[in-house]
Amino acid sequence: MSTSGERAVELTDVRKTYQVGEPVHALDGVSLEIPRGSYVAIMGPSGSGKSTLMNLVGCLDTPTEGEVVVGGREVTGLSDRERTTLRGTEVGFVFQTFNLMPRLSAIENVAIPQLFQGVDREERRERARSLLERVGLGDRTDHLPNELSGGQRQRVAIARALVNDPAIVLADEPTGNLDTETGAAVLDLFDELHAEGHTVVMVTHEPHVARRAERIVHLLDGDIERIEQIEETAATSAEDAEAEN
Amino acid sequence: MRPLEFLRLSWRSIRGHKLRSSLTALGVIIGIAAVIAFVTLGASLQAGIIGDISPDDQRNLYGWAADPDTEGGPAAGAQPVFTDADLETVRELEAVEAAYGYGTLQPQGLEYEDETVAQGDGLVASGPSYIRDEQLSEGRQFENGEREAVINPAMAERFEEEVAVGDDLTITLLGGEQRTVEVVGITDTSEGLSPFEGFESAPRVYVPTDPFYAEQAGGLGFGADGENGDDARYLAIVVEAPSAGQDDVDATRESATAYLESDDSDASELLEEELAVTMQTSTELLQQLEDVLDLLQNFIVGIAAISLLVGSIGIANIMLVSVTERTREIGIMKAVGAQNRDVLGLFLAEAVVLGVVGAIFGTTLGLAAGYLGAWYIDLPLVYPYEYVVLAIVVGIVVGIASGLYPAWRAARTDPIDALRYE
Repeated sequence: MSTSGERAVELTDVRKTYQVGEPVHALDGVSLEIPRGSYVAIMGPSGSGKSTLMNLVGCLDTPTEGEVVVGGREVTGLSDRERTTLRGTEVGFVFQTFNLMPRLSAIENVAIPQLFQGVDREERRERARSLLERVGLGDRTDHLPNELSGGQRQRVAIARALVNDPAIVLADEPTGNLDTETGAAVLDLFDELHAEGHTVVMVTHEPHVARRAERIVHLLDGDIERIEQIEETAATSAEDAEAEN
Repeated sequence: MRPLEFLRLSWRSIRGHKLRSSLTALGVIIGIAAVIAFVTLGASLQAGIIGDISPDDQRNLYGWAADPDTEGGPAAGAQPVFTDADLETVRELEAVEAAYGYGTLQPQGLEYEDETVAQGDGLVASGPSYIRDEQLSEGRQFENGEREAVINPAMAERFEEEVAVGDDLTITLLGGEQRTVEVVGITDTSEGLSPFEGFESAPRVYVPTDPFYAEQAGGLGFGADGENGDDARYLAIVVEAPSAGQDDVDATRESATAYLESDDSDASELLEEELAVTMQTSTELLQQLEDVLDLLQNFIVGIAAISLLVGSIGIANIMLVSVTERTREIGIMKAVGAQNRDVLGLFLAEAVVLGVVGAIFGTTLGLAAGYLGAWYIDLPLVYPYEYVVLAIVVGIVVGIASGLYPAWRAARTDPIDALRYE
């Protein structure tokens, strides 16, 4: 984990333009600070620039203009290799479709990011095992993804996201493929991670999911429409309201 | 990432597609098996024809006179031009240790202890040192001018009662004339003693040129003065250099050839323009034979190599399919921090494993097939061990060559597109 700064992610006047016939501004001057230990939700209709923003924060892409700082490092100037290393160590991805390696067991899936960091096999397995226990899958370590339920797969994915102790956990519609109950359990896990001090950025289109966060960033047409602060009580009451349903 | 981890992961995905991987490897297996089988067979064939003679007769130069354009083995197209007088002069040359004529006599039968066997060949006339001391298991060399013979084990065993040193043997020559010789020695091998004889095992009798060759020459009318046969002309001669060193051998060759082709020699009278004297050591002669066999073998191996090429195209094809099929996996790996070279290494390792597994199975299969073939046509089995090592190397090379492009394509997959790929 980077030691510099209080901010896990910092975007300054970021623009991303795609040339599809005529230029399309997927992001048009976005500035955003995500402090360490915070929990941010990003909402917006399709085409609002959510995915582009996620790719930038996740170091999968570089902006056309502006600065993206992740874990204290400016992304734009990095080589592909350095960006990959930064992504591997400072970003933990959780996807809507889980994206586990189909032929690797749960424990191997969790350990795979460390494989690419050159961590020893024994050390990797130990770390992966403790993380699987942390997400409640201590008894499923040797199962293949297709032997696990959707909720269990997403837990494996979350454990994998945490394995390198990243600056941020980047979740893209993590409950999109789960039923309400399993989804709620996964969201509870994110709450716990937040409480433990992890930085969580969640992209979602479901308001009740977004309201779990401390702040909701509403995107529209490639720009930040507004940033909504969720009061602790509001978050709690939202949870209560859900529980009543 | 460490090489072992690459191998572990690639082995996993190979096993994940058992049927597909097996069929892919089969292409390489057949290619390598074909090459190894033919090479084994070729090496065995070579051993069968040439035998395992160690060319310790390096000092000997085998000479004959033939049209320089004549193709073929030792003494091909040879004409009888060398006389005893020529040999005597050659013997006197400084660079020459010994020189004697070589000729085959034509027997029709052999008699031992009242038992007669038909024998139409294998009667060799030459000088005493044609049979080297270390090649004798019993007895001694024959002496010039004596009616003595050295036989090989195969000849000794032709008779119901085995012939021993000191026994008498009666040779019936073509034409009915009979000669009785005393067996003074038995060789340790039934293989030919020089390239002139060929190297296969056969019953043979060795006798001195004097008197036998001269007599036959006289009898057949080669000699000018009939019975005596002093003017007998030899088809082939053997000239010994003082040592096996290349310089000595070259010097001997040069001086002997120079004399024989000069106007002073009897041979030159008959050499004229269309004949030239050739003098070669057995290694040089063997080389010619081996060259022919090698050519044949290379031709067959070349055809087998084409199937190996087809096999590697198979690997390349499957790897390309595999890369497309696993686009999403590549995206995941890159998202969680896999470098381009990691992805490249993973796919390359997969191709190399397929190639090496194919090579190992192919080599085993090829050796077995070569063994069966050699056994079936009754050849001494020779395992070309260096080709086994080569086959593994070829397996690695085939893997790398066919995996490089697919792996490169995998490595430069854009993770954003790959994660979106369905």
